[in-house]
Amino acid sequence: MRKALFYVPLAAFLALSFFLLSGLFSDPRDHGSALIEKPLPPFQLPDLQQPARLVTAADFKGEVTLLNVWGLWCPTCNAELGFLTELRQQGVRIVGLYYVQPVDAAFGDTFDINKLRLDVQEKLAEQGDPYLFNIVDEKRSLIFDLGVTGAPETFLIDRNGVIRHHHVGDINPQNWPKIQQLYQQLQQGAADAP
Amino acid sequence: MRLNCLLLLSALALPAAATEDLLQFESAEQQQLYRQLTAELRCPKCQNQNIADSNAVVAVDMRNKTLELVRQGQSHDQVIDFMKQRYGDFVHYQPPFQLSTVWLWLLPLLAVLSLALTVFRRSRASQHNTDEPAAQTELIDAQSEARLDAELQAMIDAAGDAARQKPKE
Repeated sequence: MRKALFYVPLAAFLALSFFLLSGLFSDPRDHGSALIEKPLPPFQLPDLQQPARLVTAADFKGEVTLLNVWGLWCPTCNAELGFLTELRQQGVRIVGLYYVQPVDAAFGDTFDINKLRLDVQEKLAEQGDPYLFNIVDEKRSLIFDLGVTGAPETFLIDRNGVIRHHHVGDINPQNWPKIQQLYQQLQQGAADAP
Repeated sequence: MRLNCLLLLSALALPAAATEDLLQFESAEQQQLYRQLTAELRCPKCQNQNIADSNAVVAVDMRNKTLELVRQGQSHDQVIDFMKQRYGDFVHYQPPFQLSTVWLWLLPLLAVLSLALTVFRRSRASQHNTDEPAAQTELIDAQSEARLDAELQAMIDAAGDAARQKPKE
């Protein structure tokens, strides 16, 4: 008993060391998402290509979808476009959620959806277009309700419109296999169900 | 010189006062609540900054939402819940009490208790030492002291002998 007690400080020290060591390798950006297993929050936002059409959560029912939060102002998002386009060619359904940065009215800036549409068209023609369509979130309301902290971020949404995975950062050939596994599981689940 | 300093200071204070004025509150309580909330809510994009302290887009949006909710008359807990539903427990500096976080409270308590127990045991053990085995240790001390004295004397004698033999050479 006495002998065992003798090792308690050593064990405590080792436990603390491992705890702190594991902290060195953890991703500080990864703090989970509050929306996993929850349905998409209700929204009504314009489609970038045809602003008269309002996209709602109902548009996500029936098919497994990747909802990709992005913006032209975000270099990582632009770098991601190529790989996402490859995924689209493989048959992955990707919808864009365009992150509009706040405009500073004090500097006379205004938000112009027509200019944005042309800019986006130009960019996607150049880099590849992974998107079925793009949702424009001018006031970042859906972005706020989804708990998005920046761009790029991607949500995996099942055929019932429920959020199953929230990925912070870009999607690339290194981290795609893990998301792909979930994606295929959801698709198979969809095929099995009546 | 002093006047210049004063002018400089007042010029520095001006923008701070100006930004304060931008937010209008119905009551002092609402203003107090807004201050408290923006200090307690954590910016999810930054590393350890509250939303009052950060100018990240998400922090600005959260501040605006907090202001909107406070103006609607929502309570402290309602606003915190609203943010947690979107950004998770991470967003509040006060962690919730649940199975995965119980160690935050339990571990310091355990550490203090085990230290107190160790100190208590040690003090009892040292009391035991002075009570009963005291005579025994004294005996041992006396014995070893006599032995050490004898050894020391032998060494002194040997040294003395050596010194006496040296001049003969």
